[in-house]
Amino acid sequence: MPGYETACYSPHSAAGCIGLPARGWKSKRFWVSLEVAEGNSIVSQTILERIAAGDQTAVPDCLKAYGGLVWSLALRMLRVREDAEDAVQEIFLDIWKNASRFNPVQASETTFIAMIARRRLIDRLRHSNRRIAADSLDDIVTEPSSRSDITMQTGVEAGEAANALNQLRPEQRQVLQLSIVHGMSHQEIADATGMPLGTVKTHARRGLLQVREILGIKDSTGKEVSV
Amino acid sequence: MKKEINQDILDLLCDRALGTLTPEEDAKLRRAAADTDISEEAESLELAAAAFAVEFTVPEQMPAGLYEKIIAGSREHFANVEAAKLKDGESDVQKVFVPDIRPRRSIFDWLGWAIAAAACVALAVNIYLTGNPATRQMGEVAVQAPETDNPALERERLLATAPDVTIAEWTKGNVKGLENISGDVVWSDSLQRGYMRFRGLPKNDPNRESYQLWIFDETQSEKTPIDGGVFDVNAEGEVIIPINAKLKAKNPKAFAVTIEKPGGVVVSSREKIAALAPVRQSVKQNQT
Repeated sequence: MPGYETACYSPHSAAGCIGLPARGWKSKRFWVSLEVAEGNSIVSQTILERIAAGDQTAVPDCLKAYGGLVWSLALRMLRVREDAEDAVQEIFLDIWKNASRFNPVQASETTFIAMIARRRLIDRLRHSNRRIAADSLDDIVTEPSSRSDITMQTGVEAGEAANALNQLRPEQRQVLQLSIVHGMSHQEIADATGMPLGTVKTHARRGLLQVREILGIKDSTGKEVSV
Repeated sequence: MKKEINQDILDLLCDRALGTLTPEEDAKLRRAAADTDISEEAESLELAAAAFAVEFTVPEQMPAGLYEKIIAGSREHFANVEAAKLKDGESDVQKVFVPDIRPRRSIFDWLGWAIAAAACVALAVNIYLTGNPATRQMGEVAVQAPETDNPALERERLLATAPDVTIAEWTKGNVKGLENISGDVVWSDSLQRGYMRFRGLPKNDPNRESYQLWIFDETQSEKTPIDGGVFDVNAEGEVIIPINAKLKAKNPKAFAVTIEKPGGVVVSSREKIAALAPVRQSVKQNQT
């Protein structure tokens, strides 16, 4: 997607684009930073740090970097454009308010923003009576839609995160995709895939714990969380 | 002593992060969370689910009209934040119904604190709670999300969305005439936000005295509770006041409101305790 793979976007930087963080899955995408000359040193600020500091010029940067992601998350989970539009406005308000809570030791800016988005979307789903129409279940279940699939198709090397997630068993990946990306309940997944409900729950829970381990998600102190 | 997270709770936390928690499971998790510290585990699982979602979501261009609405909303948000800062500049006292972010104190304030804290060591034994005067802490300033102008709504939102919420009921302090104070205090460790709700806390004359909140938590000695902010009450009936913790608070054990001189104090004598809210495990819950 145009603009999505931008590794470093620094429209206001006088010093040019700063390098990516050293390594790791979270360094691959959306590490959008701004270099600010401060005395003789250069200070790198993420978009969220700029927003937390009251820099309104970070808002369009944030939308450019993450707007498409948040919109897609909302559209996939809520499936109704009007609902998704309302939710996305709420999500970005949450992002402005919670920008100061971003801890780069714990996760990437992209993941933090996706977490804020998901909290709002899950809350909305919980208060709605959305049920996925039966005729759309087949499309959802067979949808590949991983960004790694797309990058593989286009011959671009898949990211570290994509490679890491390939360690998941196919059925775990499928259940997690239906649950996390499409917001389906365990029962809906069982109905759609024909798996027993207990099996769906097991795949979802074990899969999520494995994702956390594979991706090296840390707690707020920077300590890696083990399964 | 908090219990370790067992497999049942871990399963529920996974379901919560996936958004598949049923109301019954939600209630079960809340009960389990009464004596188990789950906030770190809960957030790491949410982050894992978010990272997975990022990988399996192909971004699409958002509608142009939506982009404009978000930009407009951001202007309003930043304007509110700026207005709040200006208001803080006029007064260090937080008014009821006008929640705000308090400015950091200057180095001179901290020096004052340090001197006062040193004096406090020599002075205080067994006055109340610990017998040592409350002291305002120096060092790291707790992160607090900006507030809107509707604390009641923000409180409800906190209760609905925070992964961890501590709730404590206000009980009487040691001030005659203030025996009928009721209400509660809600606090989220993970969000570092919370709200006090009072019924029966009388209006104060800001020229004579202020209310001040103190947070007794596990990161601090009971001798040195965290300053939770100075506030005035200028309305009768139920009032809701945002907490403005000066330090990161974790696992609060109790909250206390003292009556102090206008603008609050660095060291409280704890002579006038308007209300106390001990945290009981049975009402400590995890919101999902």
